[in-house]
Amino acid sequence: MTDKSNDNDNGASDGSADRVIGTPSPAEGRAIVAGADDPGAEHPGAYPAEETHAHSEEEQRRAEKTASVWFLIAFLAGIGFFVAYFAFPPNSAGEPAIADPQIGQYSNMALGGTLALALFGIGAGMTVWARRIMPHYEVSSPYDELPSAPEEKGSFGDFFMRGADESGFTKRPLLRRTLLLSMVPLGLAPIVLLRDTGPLPGDKLKHTLWEDGLRMVVEGTNKPIKEADLAEDGAMITAFPQVEEEGGHGGEGQHLSLNDQAKTVVLLIKIPEGDFKPGMTEQQMNWTHNGIVAYSKICTHVGCPAALYERGSHRILCPCHQSTFDAADGAKVVFGPAHRPLPQLPIGVDDEGYLIAKGDFSEAVGPTFWDAEKGD
Amino acid sequence: MKWITARRRHPLAGYVVVLLALAVFGVGYALVAPSADRAEAQVMAAAQTGAEPAGGETVDIAQGRDIWERSCASCHGLNGAGSDNAPDITGAGGAAVDFQVSTGRMPSSNPDAQMPRKEPAWDREEIDNLIAYYEQEIGQGAGPAVPEEPPGDEPVRSDYEDEDAYEEAKASYDEAYDAYINGASDTQAGMQLYLANCAHCHSWSGAGGGLTGGHWAPQITDATPRQLYEAMLTGPGQMPVFTEGTVTPDDKQELISYVKTLQAEPNAGGIFDLNRVGQVAEGFIAWTVGLTLIIACAIWITAKQRAHD
Amino acid sequence: MSTTTQAPKALRGVGNWIDDRFHLAKTGEKNLRKVFPNHWSFMLGEIALYSFIILLVTGVFLTLWFNPSMAHTTYEGSYQRLNGVEMSEAYASTLRIDFDVRGGFLVRQIHHWAALIFVASLVVHMLRVFFTGAFRKPREINWLIGVGIFTLAMLEGLFGYSLPDDLPSGMGVRILQGVMLSLPVIGTYVSMFLFGGEFPGEDIIPRLYMLHILLIPGILLALIVAHFMILWHQKHTQYPGTGRSEKKVVGTPMFPGFAIKAGGFFFFVFAVIVALSAFVQINPIHLFGPFTPTAITSGLQPDWYMGFMEGSLRIFPNWLDFQIFGYAVPIGVLVPGLVIPGLIFGGLAAWPFLEQWITGDKRAHNVADRPRNAPVRTAVGVAGVVFYGILWLAGANDILSHTFSISLYWTTYFFRVAAIAGPIIGFIVAKRICLGLQRRDRETLEHGYESGTIQQLPSGEFIEVHKESSQETVHVLESKAAVDRIDDEAIASVEESESDGVEAPAARGLKGKLRAKLAHWYTKDNVSFEGVEAHTGHHLHHGAGHEEHEEMAGSH
Repeated sequence: MTDKSNDNDNGASDGSADRVIGTPSPAEGRAIVAGADDPGAEHPGAYPAEETHAHSEEEQRRAEKTASVWFLIAFLAGIGFFVAYFAFPPNSAGEPAIADPQIGQYSNMALGGTLALALFGIGAGMTVWARRIMPHYEVSSPYDELPSAPEEKGSFGDFFMRGADESGFTKRPLLRRTLLLSMVPLGLAPIVLLRDTGPLPGDKLKHTLWEDGLRMVVEGTNKPIKEADLAEDGAMITAFPQVEEEGGHGGEGQHLSLNDQAKTVVLLIKIPEGDFKPGMTEQQMNWTHNGIVAYSKICTHVGCPAALYERGSHRILCPCHQSTFDAADGAKVVFGPAHRPLPQLPIGVDDEGYLIAKGDFSEAVGPTFWDAEKGD
Repeated sequence: MKWITARRRHPLAGYVVVLLALAVFGVGYALVAPSADRAEAQVMAAAQTGAEPAGGETVDIAQGRDIWERSCASCHGLNGAGSDNAPDITGAGGAAVDFQVSTGRMPSSNPDAQMPRKEPAWDREEIDNLIAYYEQEIGQGAGPAVPEEPPGDEPVRSDYEDEDAYEEAKASYDEAYDAYINGASDTQAGMQLYLANCAHCHSWSGAGGGLTGGHWAPQITDATPRQLYEAMLTGPGQMPVFTEGTVTPDDKQELISYVKTLQAEPNAGGIFDLNRVGQVAEGFIAWTVGLTLIIACAIWITAKQRAHD
Repeated sequence: MSTTTQAPKALRGVGNWIDDRFHLAKTGEKNLRKVFPNHWSFMLGEIALYSFIILLVTGVFLTLWFNPSMAHTTYEGSYQRLNGVEMSEAYASTLRIDFDVRGGFLVRQIHHWAALIFVASLVVHMLRVFFTGAFRKPREINWLIGVGIFTLAMLEGLFGYSLPDDLPSGMGVRILQGVMLSLPVIGTYVSMFLFGGEFPGEDIIPRLYMLHILLIPGILLALIVAHFMILWHQKHTQYPGTGRSEKKVVGTPMFPGFAIKAGGFFFFVFAVIVALSAFVQINPIHLFGPFTPTAITSGLQPDWYMGFMEGSLRIFPNWLDFQIFGYAVPIGVLVPGLVIPGLIFGGLAAWPFLEQWITGDKRAHNVADRPRNAPVRTAVGVAGVVFYGILWLAGANDILSHTFSISLYWTTYFFRVAAIAGPIIGFIVAKRICLGLQRRDRETLEHGYESGTIQQLPSGEFIEVHKESSQETVHVLESKAAVDRIDDEAIASVEESESDGVEAPAARGLKGKLRAKLAHWYTKDNVSFEGVEAHTGHHLHHGAGHEEHEEMAGSH
């Protein structure tokens, strides 16, 4: 309580008697002393003395050294950043430098490490500065009274309404209403202008490229698939329809647009004949071919490729939200958030033994939408 | 109760509560996690590594028969026709035997549980003998044979008399490995095959993933190219088969090359790759390391300079 | 010693030049004197501000090379592993940033880590504001702006995540489209218009790019500026303590103390983010491979801030889906994808007004509540945090299942139950803890703190000596008495005192009854501090510090 009288004196000389400031504990052993040793001396700081707790000169000198060391570290690390930048040359034609992942890793760590150290050094130096060189401030400042005084409010309201009356806005309804009316079409214009951002859905989402006689190819290699290729029980492959070459980009890769890939992709699975469940309708069984069944790979929940086929349980799991479909039971949902079964593609075999589609999917492919289950 | 009441204000009481809570979670987890059979399987496999390594290059069918009768026949039967708790493997083929045994999944102690990858129970030569016996007596040519082209297990020092022989074997293995991996040229095909047919279970990095019914798709980072090939060929466990017809041997090489090259690639973004788990691990680090460090800095900046109490 | 250094001539010149034009001397001084409470939890919002600045700067750098085009190309760049692979221009240009631009990889990782930290710091900042009641009058508008920033930040992150067109990012867009399609009647139209046709089309990345680099950051920047100006105008809240009151804020002034502290903190935030980016690989799109709509990876996850939506999509069952005249209404997508996030954000936005309506407390508050002193609010907050956390964890249930070898379906069942039971348990536990702490506070206020010293009285009785708490502690504890006590009479009196009160008196009509019930629920368990005088409990008179006590009492 030794500081208390000190504070009081300062408070009095300062004229701000209403300040209530925490009195420093006398037990405090740290080198923080009240701003002015001599109550009579004029306080040089920016804030009143009793709100300023300066550090001793010795403490400040020590802290200055520490802070400077941090700044020097930051400086050196900053230089290091430039060194790291130029130490790793860019790739020259055919010769990867930073494009080599190992060199890239070194480059990344050298650049980032030096930069992080430089930033941290500046931060640490500034913190030492703020905490140990600058005084510790406990400045108090009044909150503003938020509501205005009633007379101010009244005056404003009065003024505003006089202005509004004079302008005619309140007294001339025809003016007001026609103005508002004139805004309506303009307000709607931007919405109309957005119309051409895309086509109308129509029945686009309900049909895919698949049609009777279209052969099936392996995704990635475009190799047409024969029935014999899937003779083994438990065999599975991701397949696309085989389409005419359209002179697409690049080599022999894809000739299907991504849009068509997203709709036509199927999972071809060979299930041992006896494993099909009685729940499969006759039609669904007709859509299979010697135990080979084709389901759309796009989950009916929100459209991830559902492709984790377990040959033992015949379950198809979607890795996004874990909807599970039973491949041996018409891809019925057995678990998870999806509702519709995966659409099944009717398949058969052509004269040369290649697997073909025998029509389009049984239902709309992909996430369920409003009229997904409605016929055309 | 009294005892607790008396000590609840002890300075260490908080830590004790935390420890107890952790213990409860630990025990609870141990109860629900089906990990016991894994440990058991380890023990059993270790116990069966008794046979001493045989010398010479020739196939020792007698030893293969010996292994079969001691370690396989009890479940799969002397003729491989299976039993109540083990499948008929007469048609599985040498590739399946090699895959199951060289990845340590067979012999299994618990036929109902999925087996994890572990150290094989026998060395390479013994496995070859077992396969030879299987091919000759049990499979009799049915099912896919062991694919010879993709490189199999790396040479193990203990199989060789001296350092030089080992070095030589290692060098020729590395050469064959590089030739196989670099022999692939169509990254596009390999990548698309892998991402369309494998990644949904084994993940983009080969780290594996969960399946239904307590099953899981194993991590495939340790698998040799030959084991990957055999897995595609034979469809072990819940895994479907990728036949030679749909994914040709060349395509399989592309696929294996893609995933092996990816796995071998250093992490360009820094030494910590968070096991390539991805976004969950990144979010965890952002909260636990990133935000914590930043808040620690904030605490330093604003720490009280005059203790009030 | 008392001489002040003269400002350098050049500085004075510039100062005068500006003041001649703007008349700023007085405003300038006032603002430099602005006071910032000195507590680390008041710097959480600054983390968000600084990471946003880092995001702007690194984002500008990335746009120098990024090409937001979905045109197909065959990669023939420096990164050899993907040579000959078909991809979009967006993906190829991201590879260019990673492998051809020196420091590009680092900057991209800084951008991504900063995004994760940005949203995380928004969350902790909002939690601080919520639990201390700093959203109360007059700061409701700033709370609403904060909720807006949080919502936009999530969208901003989601769109940014989608730009490189790598495997997981494309899946994020796919899920977004799936949720859109589930909207009754308009779903297919919304999707067709946004994507310029069917999924994925060729338009979505350029459009998301515009949203990500122009529209949303622009709105965010405006909201952040508004947030900051309002804060500046209204001043910070502060924790209760000696000298701090509803009328007066105590802390470090902007100049010179806080400017340096805040500056230093900016460098710290930047340093931590850069250090993470240097050593911890994030979102390695070059390893994922380019997006195709037909491929997917196990363990597929969004960035953490979208995890709760992923989780709610995962655990919501399909039992409620129905058809109406043959038209599908996929509740299993609609509710978790749109309704639950709507409830979370709507609830956040509505809470200040709801609480005000329940308690009838229309006073302005500048001193923050200690969370224990508002037990129902704290408990509601904890319930919300638990709910969010459960959904968030559920969004990683495949990783949890795989890492800890727990059956996948069981994790789903568990999270379904936990999403309902967890918040309830959280509410009860948090409230009990708050009330317990309140009782202890009253004890401490009345009797001082337990010193651990045991004394034998002349009568032979043993007692533990209670010592007086410091003045600071007393002030903190007494802050409750000052702000608490909201009961039915208080509501009535507050309303009566509002001369031009528009609302009907309490407890009239159904709404009034509901409100009275809620008000009772909100306050019924609160421990009353009424009539409690500091250090008047009898324990104290046995102990030491008797004289001090009298001195203290005198100072009140």
